[in-house]
Amino acid sequence: MFPALTKYRHAFLVGLQSNLVYRWNFAIRAFFSLFHLIVVFILWNAAFSGKTEIGGFNLAQTMTYFITLLVLQFFISAFSEDYQISEEIRNGLINQFLLKPINYYLYRFSIFIAARIVSGGLALLPVLIALPLLSGLLDYPTDAWRIAYAIPALLMSALIQFTIAYCFGLLTFWFLEIQSFIILSLAIETLLAGQVFPLDLLPKQLFEISQYLPYYYQMYFPASIITGRADDQTEILRNLGIQFFWVVALLIIAQVLWKRGLRRHTAVGG
Amino acid sequence: MKLLQYFRLWLACARYSITRTMMFRFDFLMWGLVELFWMGVNVALVSVIYEHTESIAGWNKYEMLLLVGSSMIVQRLLMGFFWSNLFELGRNIRSGHFDFFLAQPGNLMFMVSTRKVELEGILNVFVALAIVIYAAGKLHLQPDAATIAIYALMILCGLVIHYSLIVLAVSITFWIIKSEGLEGSYFTLTEFSRLPREAYRGLFKGAASFVFVYALPVVVVSNVPARVLIQNGINLTHALWLLAATVLWFALAVVVFHRGLRRYSSASS
Repeated sequence: MFPALTKYRHAFLVGLQSNLVYRWNFAIRAFFSLFHLIVVFILWNAAFSGKTEIGGFNLAQTMTYFITLLVLQFFISAFSEDYQISEEIRNGLINQFLLKPINYYLYRFSIFIAARIVSGGLALLPVLIALPLLSGLLDYPTDAWRIAYAIPALLMSALIQFTIAYCFGLLTFWFLEIQSFIILSLAIETLLAGQVFPLDLLPKQLFEISQYLPYYYQMYFPASIITGRADDQTEILRNLGIQFFWVVALLIIAQVLWKRGLRRHTAVGG
Repeated sequence: MKLLQYFRLWLACARYSITRTMMFRFDFLMWGLVELFWMGVNVALVSVIYEHTESIAGWNKYEMLLLVGSSMIVQRLLMGFFWSNLFELGRNIRSGHFDFFLAQPGNLMFMVSTRKVELEGILNVFVALAIVIYAAGKLHLQPDAATIAIYALMILCGLVIHYSLIVLAVSITFWIIKSEGLEGSYFTLTEFSRLPREAYRGLFKGAASFVFVYALPVVVVSNVPARVLIQNGINLTHALWLLAATVLWFALAVVVFHRGLRRYSSASS
């Protein structure tokens, strides 16, 4: 058990170092996110004019939702993991893992955790700088019980995000170019994970349906617990169950893709 | 005569690009879907917000859709005709492949910008156009031929402005070899062009208006043509403003590009 952990601890530490190299990429990304936030603010500020609430929330609560998403993104989203995995398959780097007692999923996941620690830390900087400007817009609920639900929800969200990216990366076994798949699914994820608008603003039926899809659990679910958009504890508990189902389902899909993909893999180069 | 020659040149490139696209049909289909889906995301945002409010900065749902559609037409035109050329330009300057263009007989900016045509971008222009027509139908607009001609002209101005902004951004590569986040900055800017101009008023002590409406031409690009269609008539001040911005930004792009060109020293391979 413990020697196994040491293995991945090393992968984690190497991941930490190699991601620090890309600190400027993350910083630039965080910078553009602030501009995106300005767009969001201008739009919703105009939508709220003459209104005190939309969907039961005021402007500050709505902005709190978007700011939370933005920060969470740097802590739990998969950024370029799919491309990295695709690259490793294409140029034969994965061949070495086939010969060693290392599980490729766990190896990539250790690097993913390291990457998110780096990007999350870096994203906090611009947020802290902008905090005096944002503080008027932040309005969080203060219930203690939310933390107990938010933590497992966040952890499972990170797992779902990573595993989806991992599966897309594995598609390289079948297709040479996966960029179009990734951007296509990104459009769906952006919409159904609640990045464009809070999902609870959807018509009731569509909102209900969205709760059964994995996208809901990528981002919206933990954010809704933290920002108070999810209020009913029995419903949250049920959704934690659905989220757990998706984690397991995606892990199985990843495993199947890996097994099947390796059969097609011809190990060129390396 | 010279113009005709350039047109023929462009036609040859376009024909070649389309032949190539047809060789990779699956790719073509996927990328067409990608653009379609991203447009869908924007339309979804408009329809969901207007479930909860009747007006945003004085624009009703279909006026807003018309605005978003207009901004998408410009963006898809850019994607279809110029985007991948300009994106590769930055890479070519870095790698030294840019030499290849320098050796070609013809206007350099033309040769660099028109080598490839992306069919899926051009096809999606029609989808964006359909959104505008649908919105116009819902608003019971009956634009006369003159209005439509002016609208088309304004959209064209928008295309020139977007083109110029990207040429400017790519030209930075001549000075600093590493230019990252170009894509990001462009897509962030286009987000601003999907908002009504009135929404910027008075925000951040007027700074929002100053930067995005007056200093950068991102808001005027979409708002002026949309207004032309909605009012079925032209506001002369706005039209002149857009025309002036077009000339100014294009001139700036030409100057900066040629300044940068002087610094180009190829790359050893």
